[in-house]
Amino acid sequence: MAEKKLELKNKRFTGPFTLIISVVVFYLVVKIMCRSLYSQMVVNMALVFCLVAYSVSVMLGMCGELSFAGVAFMGIGAFTIANLTTGRFGFKISPLGAFLVVIPVATFIAFIIGLILLRLKGTFFSFSTIALVQVAYTFFNNYRPLFGGVDGISGIPSVRILGKQLTNHYLWFPYLLVFVVFVGLVVEHIRNTQLGRSMASCRDNETAARVLGVNVYMTKVIAFTISGVLSAMGGALYSMLIRYASADMFTYDTSAKYLIMAMFGGVQSTIGAFIGALIVQILPQVLKVFQRYFQLIWGVSIILLMVFMPEGLTGIFRMALKRRKSRKKGRISVIQEKGEE
Amino acid sequence: MTLSLFVSLFVDGLSMGMIYALLGMGLILLVRAVGILNFAQGDLLMIGAYICGCLFLDLKLPLWIMFPIAIVWFALIGIIFMFTVYWPLRKASYSQATIIATMGASIVLQEAVKLIWGSSPRAMPAIVQNANGSPKILNVGQVTLPIQYLIILGVGMVIIYLVLKLFEKLYVGKLMQAACQDAYAANLLGIPSILTICATYAIVMIVCGTCGYLVAPQFMIRSTLGTLQLRAFAGVVIGGFGSITGAVIGCLIVGVVESFSTLFLSGYKDVTVFLLLIIFLVLKPTGLFKGKIGDKA
Repeated sequence: MAEKKLELKNKRFTGPFTLIISVVVFYLVVKIMCRSLYSQMVVNMALVFCLVAYSVSVMLGMCGELSFAGVAFMGIGAFTIANLTTGRFGFKISPLGAFLVVIPVATFIAFIIGLILLRLKGTFFSFSTIALVQVAYTFFNNYRPLFGGVDGISGIPSVRILGKQLTNHYLWFPYLLVFVVFVGLVVEHIRNTQLGRSMASCRDNETAARVLGVNVYMTKVIAFTISGVLSAMGGALYSMLIRYASADMFTYDTSAKYLIMAMFGGVQSTIGAFIGALIVQILPQVLKVFQRYFQLIWGVSIILLMVFMPEGLTGIFRMALKRRKSRKKGRISVIQEKGEE
Repeated sequence: MTLSLFVSLFVDGLSMGMIYALLGMGLILLVRAVGILNFAQGDLLMIGAYICGCLFLDLKLPLWIMFPIAIVWFALIGIIFMFTVYWPLRKASYSQATIIATMGASIVLQEAVKLIWGSSPRAMPAIVQNANGSPKILNVGQVTLPIQYLIILGVGMVIIYLVLKLFEKLYVGKLMQAACQDAYAANLLGIPSILTICATYAIVMIVCGTCGYLVAPQFMIRSTLGTLQLRAFAGVVIGGFGSITGAVIGCLIVGVVESFSTLFLSGYKDVTVFLLLIIFLVLKPTGLFKGKIGDKA
């Protein structure tokens, strides 16, 4: 008993500590490794896409519904930023102010769409989200007054934080890192709240959840809204980073990438989404020789992932940990038995 | 709108709707047999188009030799597809794994086709053509009807009739249906569920491949043919879950609506289909027809 208490205390103490240490180590490693602006850009993109991977993790990992809608919400976020900051409505807001506008806009739209689409279940819901992505793309590509049509919207001004103009990717990096880690903590927190537990119950056994008084439909709608907002933030940052927004950044084909990011790291864990986003984004740059075959390799790797490690990297890690623990426990019980003899 | 325009748009829509209906029927067959939705359905169609193109354009086989060979290929590909994307995953820890695997398969098929045949689309001649190689067109009064559309309608109806007959009248079909409804009990009764699943995949691939051959003259043989599946999905949802007739009728509705919407909003073709879907979701979320096995999806 006393040991357990000590362990708990330790965990409370070491949790934030290891987090800060690992963030700082990650920061330093990137700072040392990224000698060129291009490689820094790749890492920044990975951090932005990490937000979208979080959204997959919320919807698929916590709630058990496969949604492709992330790309559509990214588009909504990006075009909101583009419209508000370039003065297409007759007024201009600073990019950070526009970023704050994105959140309520995305919440509202995601909530309404969630109310409609979640009347469907399982796979039928999944492909209704594909239809949503397709429709959003059609609008982005054709409707000029809001989305700029085929040309997209360029000329998004650079962001100003704490009196500093973020003109290149080196300057962006620390802010992005802090923001992504912060959002990750929020997502991790959701997992441990009542909402997170009701989502998990919807995922594991819907009937049982309903018997226990969980409003399954509403829980899923809320999860959809959260994931929509996360994606919209990702899209907004994406457009702020490359200072441009156009329809072909948000096609259905790209949505597979975000799914792989979340699946690769492990869809049930927040850290998994982070690691997956980094790997999926950086690996193609390292293996540039195979560029022609890359899409093919992605496809094959999705199938292999699903066959051999559906829980992703963190799943494997967790399993190894469990095995080690049980082995240790086994040894202890053997010793205890011997003592009793 | 004149009557002739109306009729030609209607036939156009019906023929596209028939293609969606065949895809949708395949989807329903798979949902019933193994309980998963196939996100590579459109890509199976594309593979069918490419195989027919290879046999017809590269090897220059006549139609009556080409078709049996193509069907054998389709059946083989269907079975390979089943053993790579479904069989290793049938005991996966969560049900989305199989669906995501079919998405992976869709990417693999598209890329493989691009690597083998190049990314530029290939032209496919229509089945019935004039002397100069242009597709033959039937003129009835003022109405112009491309013969290809009529062939699509005819072949589609024959295929749907055959599949319905197979499942309702033949002994094999009954075995397959039994294995769909309760694989465990069917196994106890001595029905090999692996064979019935294989057969289902082969049939689905044959249907999709034939569709590919039929649409190839209109859309050309290209790697993006897979996007046709989105309309088939919409049609299946509109028609109802798990019922073949429902899916067929839903898909026909989608085809006709899409065809008429090109007249008014050419850029927003997908939007009208999706709006139709939303209206159905709000008003009648169970679809037009209730399925025999509704819970599986």
